[in-house]
Amino acid sequence: MATSDDNQAIKRVRIWYGLLLLVLIIFSVRLFYVQIINYNHYRAAALGDQLKQYQIPATRGIIEAREGGSAIPIVLNQKLYTLYADPLYIKNVDKTAADIVPIIGGSVSHYAQLMRTKGSRYVILAKKLAPDQQAKIAALKSPGLGTQAVDFRIYPQGSLASQVLGFVNNDGKGEYGLEQALNKQLAGTPGQVKAVTDANGVPLAATKGNVQTAPQNGNTIVTTLDLSMQAQMEQILAQQYQKTKSKGLSAIIMDPNTGKIKAMANYPTFDPSTYQNVSDPSVFQNAAVSNAIEPGSSMKVLTTAAALDQGIIQPNTSFYDPAHWIVDGFNITDIEEDGGPRQQNIASLLNLSLNTGATWLLMQMGGGQINSKARNAWYDYMANHYRLGQATNIEQGYEPNGIVPKPQDNGAGIDLTYAETSFGQGLQVTALQMAAADSSVLNGGTYYQPTLIDQTVQANGQAVVNKPKVLARKVVLPKVSQEMQPLLENVVQQHLAEGFSYLNFSPAYSVGGKTGTAQIAAPGGTYYSDRFNGTYVGFVGGDKPQYVIVVFNQQPGVAGYAGSYGGQPVFADLAHMLINNSYVTPKSGQ
Amino acid sequence: MTYSSTLALNRTRYQGRNQNSVSFQAQARTLGPISNTITLIVLACLLGLLYLTQVTKTNAFGYQINALQQQQSSLNSQHSDLENTSARLQSLSRVQGSAVAKSLVPVAPTATVQN
Repeated sequence: MATSDDNQAIKRVRIWYGLLLLVLIIFSVRLFYVQIINYNHYRAAALGDQLKQYQIPATRGIIEAREGGSAIPIVLNQKLYTLYADPLYIKNVDKTAADIVPIIGGSVSHYAQLMRTKGSRYVILAKKLAPDQQAKIAALKSPGLGTQAVDFRIYPQGSLASQVLGFVNNDGKGEYGLEQALNKQLAGTPGQVKAVTDANGVPLAATKGNVQTAPQNGNTIVTTLDLSMQAQMEQILAQQYQKTKSKGLSAIIMDPNTGKIKAMANYPTFDPSTYQNVSDPSVFQNAAVSNAIEPGSSMKVLTTAAALDQGIIQPNTSFYDPAHWIVDGFNITDIEEDGGPRQQNIASLLNLSLNTGATWLLMQMGGGQINSKARNAWYDYMANHYRLGQATNIEQGYEPNGIVPKPQDNGAGIDLTYAETSFGQGLQVTALQMAAADSSVLNGGTYYQPTLIDQTVQANGQAVVNKPKVLARKVVLPKVSQEMQPLLENVVQQHLAEGFSYLNFSPAYSVGGKTGTAQIAAPGGTYYSDRFNGTYVGFVGGDKPQYVIVVFNQQPGVAGYAGSYGGQPVFADLAHMLINNSYVTPKSGQ
Repeated sequence: MTYSSTLALNRTRYQGRNQNSVSFQAQARTLGPISNTITLIVLACLLGLLYLTQVTKTNAFGYQINALQQQQSSLNSQHSDLENTSARLQSLSRVQGSAVAKSLVPVAPTATVQN
């Protein structure tokens, strides 16, 4: 029989059991609340501390140019460092500031002031520190100081080809030129890390679900530019810009047999490493690609080739030139020096740059007059054969289509407009469009895609060669190419005889071309009477044309016709440069 | 009935009347429930230890990987610096300003006539 003491003991034990049970229940409820009800919240909080997720930036691809048989880098990356401070962790501000001054320069008081910034935990103290400066900063082991590596573009050749290259802005995005057009290829694909890490941020390898993708670095772009040729072209443009008192000078040297651009430059230019300091952003544009203008009489090369190709004239065709035509009530005339009405031929048409001759060619396309047939035939050549009025899609930013008027009668003097297009007014083309079209006229009739890319080297080392791409064949018949070559050589010879002594080339080489002096359109549909652009389209070669050269000179300030005195001397300098540097193979047997 | 008495009953179950009473019967040695439990706990601990060892080892490899990646990054950076230096040394402006270039004597081009 249980005594009262036993009962008391049993009671006490039961109370303790009850209390224990109550505590267990409280614990269970709390655990249920924490682990079941608030599962997502606490999981997220835990992972927030342990799970790190960040991108590994890809290294931007470099850009190279050709020099002889090898490729020389002209745009590279350099890792520079940004020095920052976390004011919360800096214990001795004055000592820390004094420690960094011998390494990065500046004043102690300036850095001390920055380190005392309140309300921020990231204060930039210096940018673009060199690796050795970064190493010295790291060696200080100052709490609260940190460095961050940032890739910057560097240009070992200075401002060379800057407008063709473009630059990379502060957000890492390519702007203008190749950097813009090939931004995706150059930028590559960033890698990704998503992993549970230790306190130092090192991923713990044994954690399930870790994701680590290596970055895919950008492609290396090997351009078609010839380094020395490009450098010499830029030198020539800088000199001629001064000599001709130009407002802007652009030039292209293209291989007519592949469409590859060997040199392309404009003046004025800029230094891409300090692009932030440029006050006039228009200088960023590669005007040779982005600036569409009325080309003037250099267009007559294309008009003549179209007429020859249609079989309506022969190279030795002669015709009576009345020295003026009335079209849509307007008088089309030649320059005074051309000598009034008389018998002319195709060679003199080009040599004297007869506007009336080009108009006569257009008339022949219509059976003797400017009509719908003539307009349609000429439009077909401009738009479909020569591909004017559409962007070439070269690897450059901001390329316009240009303007080629439609042949339909719009009731606003379409015949006059078309007569003007025959001698290079009333339409707009870029220097590149002219280079590509004239290349097709001179190479036997094949229109190649103009390109600046020789090959692309992928991050894994695999090189992809950019083969010449044919966009159109039979632009003109091969015999027309052969006929055009001596006609253009004759222009150079005639101009030499007229006193342009710089056009004196060795007979071992074939050099031909055509000037263009274009009136500049004024608001209201008229032209300025005193503003002209000078253009030149020509070639240099031996047995066949090896380089096509196009020059656009904006409003040269020298006396005389802009084409002859603003465009032609630039062409001559470039042609001499090509020959003197043995870029051109002379004629057989020379 | 205890576990040992159950075993005794099993042993006597097959002792028939005419059977040789001195016949040999091997005694089956089995573990008791506590021993089994302890063994299981020890095995579980061993397995846990093995798991921890492997996890630690793997994580140690993670540190090695990290160190190698840093080394690779450092070498890439050095490579890039050398490329940059090489490109600067090959720059046209530097070549033009070199002692060799300065000592070159200009000659009139033979292929063209300049004025």
